[in-house]
Amino acid sequence: MSSPTTVRAFSPILLIEDETSVSAFVRAALERRGYTVVQAANGDEGLRHLAKGTYAGVITDIRMPGKINGADVHQWIRENRPELSGRIILISGDTANSETQELLTKSATPCIEKPFRVRELISIVETTFGKP
Amino acid sequence: MDLVVEAAKSRDLPVFLAGFAARATEMLKAEWGGVGEILGSKVEMYSQGREFPGGSGEREWVAQNVTRKRLGLEVLPLGETEKYCAFYPIYASDGELMGTLCLVRRKAEFTAAEDELVAVLGSHAALSMEKVRRFAQLERSKKQWVEDIDAISDYIAVHDQRGRIVRTNRSLATHLGRSPVALVGEPMISLRHIAETGSALPCPFCRNTRELREEYIATSEGRTFLVSTSRKHGVTDEETRTIHVLKDITDRREAERRYRELFDSIQEGLFFATPEGQFLDVNDAMVRMLGYESREELLQADVSTHLYPTAAAKERLVRAIAERGALRNYEETLRRKDGSLLHTLQNISAVRDKQGRVAQIRGLMLDVTEQRMFQSQLQRERDFNQKILNTTQSMILVLDTAGLISYANRRCYEMGYLEEEMIGHRLVDWVAASHRKDFEAALQTTANGQQVENLEMRVRRSDASMGHFSISLSPMRDESKQVNNVVVVMTDITDAALLQAKLAHSEKMATIGRLVSGVAHEVNNPLAAILGFTDLLLENPEMPASAREDLQIILQETQRTKEIVQDLLRFARQRPTQREPVQVNTVLRQTIKLRGYDFASHGVEVVEEFDEGIGETLGDAQQLQQVFLNILNNAYDAIQESGNHGKIRIGTKRAGDAIEVTFVDNGTGVSDPERIFDPFFTTKQAGRGTGLGLSICYGIVRAHGGEILCWKNAGESGSTFLVRLPRATETALAAAANEAGR
Repeated sequence: MSSPTTVRAFSPILLIEDETSVSAFVRAALERRGYTVVQAANGDEGLRHLAKGTYAGVITDIRMPGKINGADVHQWIRENRPELSGRIILISGDTANSETQELLTKSATPCIEKPFRVRELISIVETTFGKP
Repeated sequence: MDLVVEAAKSRDLPVFLAGFAARATEMLKAEWGGVGEILGSKVEMYSQGREFPGGSGEREWVAQNVTRKRLGLEVLPLGETEKYCAFYPIYASDGELMGTLCLVRRKAEFTAAEDELVAVLGSHAALSMEKVRRFAQLERSKKQWVEDIDAISDYIAVHDQRGRIVRTNRSLATHLGRSPVALVGEPMISLRHIAETGSALPCPFCRNTRELREEYIATSEGRTFLVSTSRKHGVTDEETRTIHVLKDITDRREAERRYRELFDSIQEGLFFATPEGQFLDVNDAMVRMLGYESREELLQADVSTHLYPTAAAKERLVRAIAERGALRNYEETLRRKDGSLLHTLQNISAVRDKQGRVAQIRGLMLDVTEQRMFQSQLQRERDFNQKILNTTQSMILVLDTAGLISYANRRCYEMGYLEEEMIGHRLVDWVAASHRKDFEAALQTTANGQQVENLEMRVRRSDASMGHFSISLSPMRDESKQVNNVVVVMTDITDAALLQAKLAHSEKMATIGRLVSGVAHEVNNPLAAILGFTDLLLENPEMPASAREDLQIILQETQRTKEIVQDLLRFARQRPTQREPVQVNTVLRQTIKLRGYDFASHGVEVVEEFDEGIGETLGDAQQLQQVFLNILNNAYDAIQESGNHGKIRIGTKRAGDAIEVTFVDNGTGVSDPERIFDPFFTTKQAGRGTGLGLSICYGIVRAHGGEILCWKNAGESGSTFLVRLPRATETALAAAANEAGR
């Protein structure tokens, strides 16, 4: 069911990241490899997209301005879109942060630490979401 | 009656006896008759009319025979005269020989009729003599009685039922300037100026009672009389007599009044008591002292149970009096009527009876409650002050105005200073030379009456080391408000100063941590973009080789920046990632092994002084290894720089609840131990380190709940690093094992 080829053609990846320079390079890197990307500038916007669209996976920054951060997005998906909860990638600016540590330890959600190389990004995306 | 009349007529016994002798002579036909009366040892012979028929010798013999007791008539020859003398004894009713009837006759024989006649005459004489004698005696004693009464100096007045004077004695009459006889019949009321009882009776000395005998007081202006009154009821009212004896007791009353006045006005308590302690009399001060309403109330109160707080106290007092007779300044706590305590000082003496037993005790009592309270309050205050002085952690010294120490509290001695180096010495000599001027100035300011507080100075301790002291000086004034002493309070704040520095340091480090964490996070975003886009550019196959080289440099530098940021974040980290039991000695040995070859080849000796009984700490062995490695590297660098023959001593030991690891090197020594853990603080040449190594160590050790300190070695080259880690308790170890098992 979760065979990567089945979702490839239809579903884009939801990228939730407030930092435009970061989201720009992530989007470029993914698109070059054939993924489609839907961008959200904060958690709030991300949840609105999630409520109405279908996605191959979600990449979200942990620390974001506004009421909803990455942990909240993670929590929302687990509760409202459980089929997506295995297809989340977290981006962290500081994995040493104790709250982040707790989230990662508890959920075993894959996390990529800023700054990261493009090949690290592609590797984790392919593993988690599959190839397009 | 006949004889009484006769006797009363004759009145005089000699006349009667002479007449009787004459009649007996006639009736018994004698030549001569006489009655010899025995008056003590003498004999008086009474006769009448006839000449004694004989010489003086015979007369003498007759008189001598008068005193001889005989049962009845006896006839004896009268010397050479051929006549006879008959003797007949005259006995009184009580058997006393009063006298003898003597008759001189020619014949010796008495006829029976004559015998009987002599006996009748004899008994007749006896009866009359006795009556007359009694009467005379009565007369004499009556006269004597009047004389006796008159001799009494007290006033005596006898009056009848109507208040008329029947008799007075001479003393009273003389006082009135009259003769006793002249006063008879006068009204008693005329004597009212002498004294009165205040009754409205006709006699000023009477009271409104019918007592047969009574005593009371009657007064007049200035005089006081004790009146003893007796009433004698006669057959008729007319014969009822009232006898007053007035004793002038004015002087006695005065003495008594003065005594009482003194007794009551004296401010000390005075008492008379039974040997058991029951009061017989007390003065007003005593009543006041013991809180009673009146003397009567105190005398009636059962003080022997109430007065003494304990029965034992009373027994002790009674025994002490019995043994010693008198007690001076005897201290006793008594209980007042309301139960409150009264502290007394007593002087007590015992009055003993003939057998030597204590009959009464007398005493004087002082209320020393206030003094005692004041004293105990003073004592308490003194104790309190003494306690404060002696338990305070500050050294307190008193200096005279010349700056010489005159007093030092216990703390000074505890600090190791000796009396002989304090008392009489100048305190300023203890102060570091560089501070002496300031200290002298402060002393002068205080001597001028102002307080100087919290001077911070270096002062020589008893072991000659210098300590950091906080010093306050206060002036002490005498009665005339002149400053005569200076009180110096000194506290060794060396440790406190250290602690404060440590606190400030850890606060600073925490602030830096927060700052670094924020900066690192912000730097990561642009760094991610730079790294990401560089990667994307490099993916472009059309990129010329020269540009590709430049991009590689960007990539390299970005990587370096990334490492710096990661180090910073590690420094700022709050908690170790792992919490497992860690053998500190094992981690140290592994760390030393890592550098072992390098050290040996550069002639740096490592000495291990490990205590194997230090226990374990909970944490991350990897991180701790990083800390130890960092310190070792630091030491190695310092040694290399100094050119010394290198030596690093690494020791572990248990210190209470902590494990202490020390690294002592003989390198150049840390120039600025307070800043060495600050991020980017480095003494090394640019490029040789990020300046974050020790900051990261600091972060890791703090995250383990420990601390890391550094100081320059005292007296030798090099530095010491101390890592103090919490020693894991049994329960913490068990909990960690449990956690790991899940």
